[in-house]
Amino acid sequence: MTETTVTPERPLVVEETETKPGFVGQNVPRKEDKRLVQGQGVFFDDVKRHGMGYVHFVRSPYGHAKIRSIDVARALEVGGVYGTLTGDEVAILTDPFFELSTPPGAHIKDYALAVGKVRHVGEPVAAVVASSRELARDASELVEVEYEPLPALVDGEAALAEGAPILHEEAGSNVVWSGLFDWGDFEAARAEADHVVKIERLHFDRFSSTPLECSGCLVEYNRGTGQWTMYCNHQMPGVGAIWMAPALRVGIDKLRFVTQDIGGAFGNKICLHPQFVACCLLARKLNRPIQWTEWRTDQHTANAHGNERTFLDVEVPVKADGTMLGFSVRAVDDCGAFPRYEPLGCIIWAQVTPGCYRWRNIRVDFTQVVTNKSPVSPNRGYSRMQHLWLTERIVDIVARELGLDPVEVRKRNYVRTEEMPYETPNGCIYDSGDYARCLDIALELIDYDQLEERRRDAEARGKLLGFGIGSTLDSGTNNFGQSTLLNPELQFSGNNEVATVKLDIFGEIVVTLGTVPQGQGHETTAAQVVADILGCTPDDVNVRPGHDTYWNSHAGLSGTYASQFAVTGLGAVKGATEKLAAEMRKLASLVLGCSEDDIELAEGQARMKANPEAALPFMALGAILNANNAGLPTDLDITLNARYMYRPPFELPDKERKYGNLTLTYATQIHACLIEVDPETGGYEIVDYAAVDDCGKRIHPQIVEGQVHGATAQALGAATHEIFAYDEDGNLLTPNFYDYHVPHALDMPPIKNGYIESESPFTPLGAKGMGEGGGAGIHAVCAALQDALGKTVTRSCNPYHRVWELLRSEDRGVTVQAR
Amino acid sequence: MTPETARTIAVDVNGVSYEREVEARKLLIHFLRDDLDLTGSHVGCDTGNCGACSVLLDGVLLKSCMLLAVQADGTSIRTVEGLGSDGELDALQQAFADHHALQCGYCTPGMLMSASWLLERNPRPSEEEIRRAIQGNICRCTGYVNIVRAVQAASGQEVSE
Amino acid sequence: MLLREVEYARPASVGDAVRLLAERDGARALAGGQTLVNVMKARAASPDVVVDLNGLEELKGIELGPDGTLEIGAMTTYTEIVESAEARARPILGEVCAQIADVQVRNRGTIGGNVCSNDPTNHLPPLVVALGGTMTIRGTGGERTVPAEEFFLGVYMTAAGPGELLTTVTIPAGKADGFASLPIGRDGTCIVNVAASLDGGAPRVVVGCVDAVPVLVRPESAEDDAVRGAVRAAGLQPPDDVHAPAEYRRHLAEVLAVRAVRAAKERAS
Repeated sequence: MTETTVTPERPLVVEETETKPGFVGQNVPRKEDKRLVQGQGVFFDDVKRHGMGYVHFVRSPYGHAKIRSIDVARALEVGGVYGTLTGDEVAILTDPFFELSTPPGAHIKDYALAVGKVRHVGEPVAAVVASSRELARDASELVEVEYEPLPALVDGEAALAEGAPILHEEAGSNVVWSGLFDWGDFEAARAEADHVVKIERLHFDRFSSTPLECSGCLVEYNRGTGQWTMYCNHQMPGVGAIWMAPALRVGIDKLRFVTQDIGGAFGNKICLHPQFVACCLLARKLNRPIQWTEWRTDQHTANAHGNERTFLDVEVPVKADGTMLGFSVRAVDDCGAFPRYEPLGCIIWAQVTPGCYRWRNIRVDFTQVVTNKSPVSPNRGYSRMQHLWLTERIVDIVARELGLDPVEVRKRNYVRTEEMPYETPNGCIYDSGDYARCLDIALELIDYDQLEERRRDAEARGKLLGFGIGSTLDSGTNNFGQSTLLNPELQFSGNNEVATVKLDIFGEIVVTLGTVPQGQGHETTAAQVVADILGCTPDDVNVRPGHDTYWNSHAGLSGTYASQFAVTGLGAVKGATEKLAAEMRKLASLVLGCSEDDIELAEGQARMKANPEAALPFMALGAILNANNAGLPTDLDITLNARYMYRPPFELPDKERKYGNLTLTYATQIHACLIEVDPETGGYEIVDYAAVDDCGKRIHPQIVEGQVHGATAQALGAATHEIFAYDEDGNLLTPNFYDYHVPHALDMPPIKNGYIESESPFTPLGAKGMGEGGGAGIHAVCAALQDALGKTVTRSCNPYHRVWELLRSEDRGVTVQAR
Repeated sequence: MTPETARTIAVDVNGVSYEREVEARKLLIHFLRDDLDLTGSHVGCDTGNCGACSVLLDGVLLKSCMLLAVQADGTSIRTVEGLGSDGELDALQQAFADHHALQCGYCTPGMLMSASWLLERNPRPSEEEIRRAIQGNICRCTGYVNIVRAVQAASGQEVSE
Repeated sequence: MLLREVEYARPASVGDAVRLLAERDGARALAGGQTLVNVMKARAASPDVVVDLNGLEELKGIELGPDGTLEIGAMTTYTEIVESAEARARPILGEVCAQIADVQVRNRGTIGGNVCSNDPTNHLPPLVVALGGTMTIRGTGGERTVPAEEFFLGVYMTAAGPGELLTTVTIPAGKADGFASLPIGRDGTCIVNVAASLDGGAPRVVVGCVDAVPVLVRPESAEDDAVRGAVRAAGLQPPDDVHAPAEYRRHLAEVLAVRAVRAAKERAS
């Protein structure tokens, strides 16, 4: 049977696969949409409470400075000001946030507000609460802070230099974490190679997904119970609570996170604990609800950037036939002023150590440093994207140096479909996929066979045509055991997600999720899975929007991150629904006087297979157990309220060898693009673009395609204009959407989509996590620029001025050593 | 005429009349969201770039963060809450849902206002015209692909590949 | 967001507006607000009084004189210029206005606001200089006119001084005009823009984004080399910022000047 496609009139390429009829795999209408297109969504800033106070943070104007004094007296004199909070109070009332790193990073002290020192422009040093947003800002201007400026550090490599200013004296070094990863035998590979290609320096620039809704919360404190409720847009409350509760010196159940609709997050709403703790303290201190809305400039200057990474001294041993044997590299990762979620980025890349390739000998000397820039946070494609940019740059730079065809050299080095499941040199298991086939589809979509003709046509118009490929993997469902490869003392491993499914008194099926959706359509896809198991329609399934800690449908690692909902979230939904279905069959069998095996669930009823007339509507089942249960056997142990925790099948990784399976699934993205460069100006345009995706079984093809579009747009923005650039004093030069240009509608090329479905053998539904992508668009544009210009591209973001500089530059930094 | 730091204004929003005293410094978007509780229009930036706050003021599409609320005195405003009728979706809203033109839904209200304004003036816009019409609305989720398709569908046209 | 406290006035006439602006030191005229409101949100500037010109019909509209002269009221929006049949007498006006930002901004932003804010990346300052426009300024003492090339004095500074108001932009008849720019993304902020006009003798080439004011260059002819040479000889000292190093802007000025002049020639022929 042929797969249903998104819109059959479009040229989707779909594998022939076996499917069973049902709602899974269909584009059912999204449950979320009706409220959202009517402006009836509830985002955190829509929530109001009687007597609430608005908080405004006083932020550092310096990249690096000592705080000599803070005086809030004048602010407190303003009518309508409810109170303030300073770093001194925070240092007394809270403990520093838990650090994940071993020393030196372990010694870093990170608080809700700056204590004693500021380390980046925009860092909150005090907070003022007032009766209106405007008044809070007015009063914050009256807070007098005396600073003693210190030299700022805005370059990751400079952070390692002798005599560099030290950001965190307690750590005694700007290094957060460093370590050597050495798999296979790189020296032997170098000896075996016919050529060794050396690349001096590649730099992955700083940017972020910049969700359109900034961060924020409304915090209520219950004095009687000591509990805080946060109406917010935190995307990973389980981990947020692990940071916040010890800092606030309370049990974890004192923190209730509530979300409904979230205006995008992309990882950027994981590290909100400092601001939330400040709001919690204020709610308790001032005994009123506290509202914090982050504005765009705040988000850009002081919230969540993606990791910036420099790759030095790359060496690639290559055989005469173009077979690459691996690579070695020294990586310096710049995480900004505080590690927060870091140093996890120092291992996350290792999920995709060899990229899409059969490389067996890989040595990575990885160091992460702090600088006087905004702290980083996971950002769509987190840490893998930077690494995959390196693998793709390696392939295209080697191809250029050795005169190899970028298509052929990829196919020669790609992991092959017959090798799946494939174990990488560091023990990760690529579950399934066919990279070469995806590439062929992408090439077909952009009419690759007409490339030379199009090149000539562009030339005739004074343009340089460039062709580029980006081959990436989206590794989904983390094994948190990888954290122990950074810090053996950490007590995290495996992964989990929870869902509950219940049958209510009137027969309503109610699903609660532990996840925290931000546009991924969890309400819809969860309903598809439930409907197929219970024999009803998605319309019959009420999936509660958002997340509420008090629903008790979450676990410690709950959240929406790391491309995993289709595996963990829906795995939990499937497990809970199967438990509920078994209970429903059992109850029905007792009522109908038959065996459980004689009962089937279909058409909203539990009925006898042999005699469908003998049926109990769901409503009857719900009513009998919940309201009319006299006479049921006393030993009947059912609740019609099933909670299930899905745990992916993971082992603990080997800490000595830094070896083990770090993620459960590997979705493939192979993108290809054509660009046209105006050689006079350096301006360029993407003129053709294809994105081929393989995420195994697609639960809802339209949602999958939407994620591909979004990941592509973000990658194209990052490749062309989006960059968080700083001056030498640590001022962010792109603090708003004026200077930080994200793609608008006229900037986006049409995107041609193709799919294959290589089901994962390891997941409950054959699906793989997807959504983050691997930044394939960045890699493809860099490759296309290199092709068009005939110059080695060494930066991930190439605005027009860089292209113009490249055109005029001597090509430097790459050498080939023949053996 | 005399300069004032606050004044009483009267506006009609989605057919409902409101009279409120408002500070001169208050932006129209904050007036709509915080004073009138019409939270459908959103704030996505602080420089007038994102368009999430787009509304129709006396029939003209503009960004409500680039206008003081006092400037709206005596006008008639239409926001996303004014689209459709009796809780039912209009053709454009339905097309957004059908074509998966929204993910997180945060830009959607502004996007719908821009697309509505386009279709009122140009019932069969080309793809380029659609893109130009929503150029002032940033979406970080969809890459605009399905938004363009939805507007095409809502105007009874064939949907782009 | 979150402006400082400000007083708001909505004058009933241009005379009232000018009086208000003259009376109060910290008063600023509020035209479309697409720049001023942003500046106020950032609290980068905080006028004491904003004098809202939006109700003043006498500042709106486009008149085409019998000799082809266009009289454009300062409060005419970009959209009105784009859609105006009269403005098509000088087609470049509508074409350039259509490239400014986006629909919402064009619906509200005005020609007067654009030239009076004189943000160096704005489209219209170089254009009105290239077209040989004349600016009419009203003060409490009466009205005066200033040639566009003398109007721009610095960033956010023009010949319309405190207590004065730009009321009309006059554009003479003509047609052989061109405009070329390199924006950050389509219709984005210009990195460099150049307007050129061949009407009235030697070409008028005006470069934007390279100085606090648009830079007028007068090449001897419309030949590529002459244009390029004249721009080079102008010794531009453009800003060095995150979007472009100074050297790149200097280079773009030459390339875009040639393109703008070529476009003008094409229209002339």
